[in-house]
Amino acid sequence: MASLNLLPLAIDLVLALTLLWLAWRALSSPDLFRAVVLFIALGLVLGLVWVRLDAVDIALAEIALGAGVTGALLLAALAKLQSAEAETADASTEQEGDWQGCSQALAEPDAKSKPTLTASATMDATGSAMPIALRILLALLLLVPLAGLGWVVWQLWLPAPGLTDLVAARLEASGVAHPVTAVLLNFRGYDTLLELAVLLLALLGVWSLSSAPHLGDEEQEPALAALSRLLAPLMILVAAYLVWVGAHAPGGAFQAGSVLGAAGVLLRLSGWRVPPRATGWPLRLVLVLGVVVFACMGLVVMAFGQPLLGYPPGWAKPALLAIELAATLSIGAILAALFIGGRP
Amino acid sequence: MPMPLSGAEWAAALVFVPLLAALACFLVPRAANWLGLLAATLILFATLGLVRGLLGDGPLRVAVGAWAAPLGIDLVADGLSAVLLLMTALVGLGVSAFAPAYFAEHSEQRRWFWPLWLLLWTALNGLYLAADLFNLYVMLELLGLSAAALTALSGSATALNAAMRYLFVSLLGSAAYLLGVALLYHGYGTVDMVLLGERLEAGAVASAALLAMVAGLLLKTALWPFHFWLAPAHGSAPAPVSALLSALVIKASFYLLLRLWLALFSGLAGLLPTLLPELLGLLGAAAILWGSVQALRQRRLKLLIAYSTVAQVGYLFLAFPLTGVQAGEIAWRAVLYLALAHGLAKAAMFLSAGGLLRFAGHDRIADLDRAAQRLPLTLTAFVLGGVSIMGLPPSGGFIGKWLLLEAAFTQGRWGLALVVLVGGILAAGYVFKVIGYAFTATKIAQEGEAVPLAMQWSALLLAFGAILLGFAAPWFWPLLEVGAPFAAPLAEIGTEAIAEVGAVSEAAP
Repeated sequence: MASLNLLPLAIDLVLALTLLWLAWRALSSPDLFRAVVLFIALGLVLGLVWVRLDAVDIALAEIALGAGVTGALLLAALAKLQSAEAETADASTEQEGDWQGCSQALAEPDAKSKPTLTASATMDATGSAMPIALRILLALLLLVPLAGLGWVVWQLWLPAPGLTDLVAARLEASGVAHPVTAVLLNFRGYDTLLELAVLLLALLGVWSLSSAPHLGDEEQEPALAALSRLLAPLMILVAAYLVWVGAHAPGGAFQAGSVLGAAGVLLRLSGWRVPPRATGWPLRLVLVLGVVVFACMGLVVMAFGQPLLGYPPGWAKPALLAIELAATLSIGAILAALFIGGRP
Repeated sequence: MPMPLSGAEWAAALVFVPLLAALACFLVPRAANWLGLLAATLILFATLGLVRGLLGDGPLRVAVGAWAAPLGIDLVADGLSAVLLLMTALVGLGVSAFAPAYFAEHSEQRRWFWPLWLLLWTALNGLYLAADLFNLYVMLELLGLSAAALTALSGSATALNAAMRYLFVSLLGSAAYLLGVALLYHGYGTVDMVLLGERLEAGAVASAALLAMVAGLLLKTALWPFHFWLAPAHGSAPAPVSALLSALVIKASFYLLLRLWLALFSGLAGLLPTLLPELLGLLGAAAILWGSVQALRQRRLKLLIAYSTVAQVGYLFLAFPLTGVQAGEIAWRAVLYLALAHGLAKAAMFLSAGGLLRFAGHDRIADLDRAAQRLPLTLTAFVLGGVSIMGLPPSGGFIGKWLLLEAAFTQGRWGLALVVLVGGILAAGYVFKVIGYAFTATKIAQEGEAVPLAMQWSALLLAFGAILLGFAAPWFWPLLEVGAPFAAPLAEIGTEAIAEVGAVSEAAP
């Protein structure tokens, strides 16, 4: 029996150590591609950790967004960096100078470690030289708040006085049966609406910087094309299922949207393009749909004497479903557009 | 006349009008100028409606979605939020009137300016209305991302570098703030500011949360020595964006810091809550001196104005060591006045720098070449803004500094008073440096390009606002007192000082 009780502990220990090891390897790897792959692995292990903590929703989100979408974005950024590296050799030296200036400016308050120590300097990933003594000093300085934080976390009392009971008590009136969805869309719907706006804002920021890289119509890989023909419909189905199931079990718009976004990435990689006549206002409309539906729904109820974002009894379920569907479409489109990078 | 809308509806309009307008500008870029100006007017209208409601009915607290805190999110508005909302609406309208002419030649920049700026406005209004720590984090995210994207708008290498650094700083600050929120939620089971204020006890959790949140927000407010990102970002952004960043964005994180301090931490016993105000005052004094000296040394106009912001941020923190004692609360009112005056004046100065940049094609101070004669409206705007920054009567900056000096003198804090005075003299130095070059002819006469009247007048009107703020004190105090954001009621603490200021500003013209 004792060995059975020890098993969960052993699993936790292995997960925690793997997490730390992966994090360290990802940070210390000089090869950026390797670092990105390690980061994706870290996201997957982190998902398992959330499962162990009984937070299946966060586990789904972590694996879909933290590992999946972020990993794809990092790989896309890496590919762009490598293709642009040769062209901008001059610009990068200029930048290096700037970064060195910055690190020296940061080092100024610490007058003792002069840049004369550069003899034993090591080159870090950004290419700027930093004396080893300075690095150790920085590490020690960072250790102080870290140790303090660890001590405070150790002091925290358990069980935490959270809001779980209150959420459970009001769940019935929220229109959904899953507490996480109830918090996200009803109790704290105002936050979620603005988080959707943040996601859209990230895309606006990317689009304001440059237009999308012009991918030539390169030869399609037959295997990839066949795979995407098989997978894309399946992913759309999974996304629809995740939205529906979100009402009473882990799932919901963000997870479904990320699956939809992944389908978009896959289609893009296998050579599919959005038809040119749809890249104008139809695409923009899909991108803003989630925020528009959410915001208008929240405002329209005010005309019926309800508070802002307060759904009348009985109307909450259909209202939340409409919002989730619109949000899923927008999140999927935004994530795929972020992967492509740059305005059409 | 009965109010057409309730306070809750005005508050909803303040967040949703800019949000929906941003989406509309994104959908229909061709109509963006008109949509943006329409939204700016509506927001000013809604702000005035909210202010009127506050003056009539007292502070506002409404639940979003009928779920009162702690389960749901509450929106609140009191005097402190109202004055900042009012400043945001005025500066926002001014910049919105400036932008169409400024971006007329850069249609691609204009296309992205409007949605990004309106989302920034959403975040600002939402932040001033929020009473929920996590909701405030979402607002900070919206604010930081839109501000960084706006900084990069011109697309030059300097601007991209500065925007990237700004983004990192902003994310780090948000993360530190979020860490504090997580600690507080774990410890006390709510993220509502009022409930937390009742439950919070001195101890390790509160101290750690205080440190994390203050560090994060200082980074975003660019208090010395965390100012390193400010000058490149504010100096390399397009002029309307610089005006927004300097006048409004910096104030938002300062407001949040002030709010947290007043609602949660100022009442706590212990070593940290007593030491921190002194430290903040010290850093503020350093910021005033360092920023002013750096501004004096600059050769480019926009960088000079940006370093002036570093200095002016310092003034806002001088209040921390001055409060907490009997009769100390007058210092909060002083820095609020300074923040408002700085918002209007700095927006006017950056907008006139944008006008000069369009006129001359550069912003080298030494080559301004009789700009005063050739571009009188714009130069007047710059000078009037400078008058308020220096703190000369009858400007809004003068009232703020007067009250700050009053607070420092009554408590015998001669050092702080000296810093206020020296900062004013240094500010006079850098403003007159620009004026001097603007009146002198350079050896090679320079060609000037025509500057649209909309650009000149929007800057000038904002500058007038900064000056007129000096006469607005009698209307300003009752509004600021709605809901008594500074705990001690006005009646007890500083009526004499305020009456004195009223007399001075009336006598000044």
